[in-house]
Amino acid sequence: MITAGCDVGSLTSKAVVMRGDRILGSAIIRSRTKPEEAASQVLDEALKQAGLTRKDISKCVGTGYGRERIDFVNDTRSEIACHAKGAKWLVPTAKTVIDIGGQDCKAMRLDEDGSVGRFVTNDKCAAGTGRFLEVMANVLHVPIEELGKLSARAKAPVVLASTCTVWAQADVIEYLNAETSIEDIGGGINNAMAGRVASLANAVKVERDVCMTGGVAKNIGVIRALEKLIGQRIVIPRKADPQLAGAIGAALLAREMN
Amino acid sequence: MDPIFNEAAIKIQNSSLLEYKKKGGRVIGYVCSHVPEEVIAAADMLPFRLRGIEIKSTAIGDSYFGPFVCSCPKALLQNAGEGRFSFLDGAIMVQACDSMRRLDECWRKAGTDFPGSLPDFFHYFAVPHKVTDYSVQFFAEEIEKLAKAIEEHFKVSITGQKLDEAIEIYNTTRDLLVQLETLRHRDSPPLTGSETMAIVLAGTAMPKSDYNKLLEATIEDLKKQRAKTHAGKPRILLAGSVVDDLTLIDAIEAEGAVVVADTVCFGARAYSGHVEKGDSRWQTLARRYLNEQFCPRMFGYSNERYELILQKFKDSKADGIVFQNIRFCDLHGSENGLFNKRLDKAGIPNTRIEREYGELADEGRVRMRIGAFLETLGRGKSAA
Repeated sequence: MITAGCDVGSLTSKAVVMRGDRILGSAIIRSRTKPEEAASQVLDEALKQAGLTRKDISKCVGTGYGRERIDFVNDTRSEIACHAKGAKWLVPTAKTVIDIGGQDCKAMRLDEDGSVGRFVTNDKCAAGTGRFLEVMANVLHVPIEELGKLSARAKAPVVLASTCTVWAQADVIEYLNAETSIEDIGGGINNAMAGRVASLANAVKVERDVCMTGGVAKNIGVIRALEKLIGQRIVIPRKADPQLAGAIGAALLAREMN
Repeated sequence: MDPIFNEAAIKIQNSSLLEYKKKGGRVIGYVCSHVPEEVIAAADMLPFRLRGIEIKSTAIGDSYFGPFVCSCPKALLQNAGEGRFSFLDGAIMVQACDSMRRLDECWRKAGTDFPGSLPDFFHYFAVPHKVTDYSVQFFAEEIEKLAKAIEEHFKVSITGQKLDEAIEIYNTTRDLLVQLETLRHRDSPPLTGSETMAIVLAGTAMPKSDYNKLLEATIEDLKKQRAKTHAGKPRILLAGSVVDDLTLIDAIEAEGAVVVADTVCFGARAYSGHVEKGDSRWQTLARRYLNEQFCPRMFGYSNERYELILQKFKDSKADGIVFQNIRFCDLHGSENGLFNKRLDKAGIPNTRIEREYGELADEGRVRMRIGAFLETLGRGKSAA
């Protein structure tokens, strides 16, 4: 049985095509103004990689902010359910899942059977999310995938006093004007991000193993800083790109559909 | 269901209100459920609960209030500044909470900047935060002062007989709304949470004499209804900050749930208890309006509020509780946190969300959270 999961997020859209427990194809694209177009495009790219067509898909589940607008799915599920399912598949020993997406951040505690026991999400603002890192990477003129590596080379990471992304950006510009090294600023940005996520993670009472998903799971600087703050090692999924966790979960949930 | 309920729920200047004004009726607006409406009704005027609905921005509100203030009073001031409350003959301000207390000062100042936005009769009404012998006495005197202020300003007479008549009418409304709530407890509720809220909201925005008749007829119709439209859906109890429009409940119900009970202001909080009949009417009014209110503005009654939530949860056969608070609502924000922990320990499913007041700008975010919560109940949209 071939199933598909489509996760239309605020920044990126992800699709995964699976047969049983194996990923046949996947894709990540930048989200478009129309969620249905992004969903269609990303699924077609994943299918192309798998060498399949839409006719080959038995069931498809949609998730993410744009999920209600995807017309080709058989069902929709919340990001919480999909990320938990995907994380459990990526890291079977996971008890706590931290997912940092483009504009939201979630921490989930999983029950023994892998279902969500408790979850919290960012409420006040989107400062602790992927968008924060994207804005900062732009200011530093550093590719976002390089931002995480700066922490390791930082000698004295700066402190960003403001929680607000816009004001934190102003702080970064001040540091740049003062000729502070890019590494120290980058390290400070990753630490600030980790601080915001840690408070959320602690709200669900972190329990081993801790797994991180979402695009920010690719930022080693944030992960190392977060490990220090929560006092636990974070398992980074190796089985597949952690940014695909929601789409993987959706594809797995599609498999469970009658 | 009579269309006036929905109209009055979503439109401040609804046709019932305009009709009342056309006939020369006078209207006094108020901002908190601790204001004894009977006093206004006994002066042959319409008590009208003010809401911040219909606004498209809070530009006016933002310029008078600080940034870290609940958006509810800001929205009220916005409506005043934009002239949506131009029908008011008077308004009563209350130190319901700190943010609402500031509305008194901000509206007075805005009245000088937006000519015509401040009603001629503008009264500050003090409500104690505790229920003791001396606070009830103080409150009774405040109510009497309010009555005297209305009498003097509007040249009317609030007699004992008029008060008794008003108490009778308002107690009837409360009885009817309790009946409506009981209908929601059925295994198959005959109406959604949104429809119920529309009915309750309409009661704050139209003359009670008309309202009671329509409400009674609606309840009789609903009693006969046997359709299983909402049977089997996950049942939600809504608690927390003030809810005075339909969008939040609509968002919860769009995820497949049905809201079967609430403890929110404008909802169940407004119709609990009776005003006893007796000679000392200021005292009986004071007792009802202090004792029968379950707002966390009242100090020292957190346990009672928790017990009330548990009771409503049980009576309504709810599956889960959604706590929500408006951003910067310290009272509900902190109490929601305490209740959340206690309910977790008691094994009762519940979730907390923070939101802006009014029409939901962040509907997608709220729906995602509600959808995920329903899934944890094993009763998500696909399961419903």
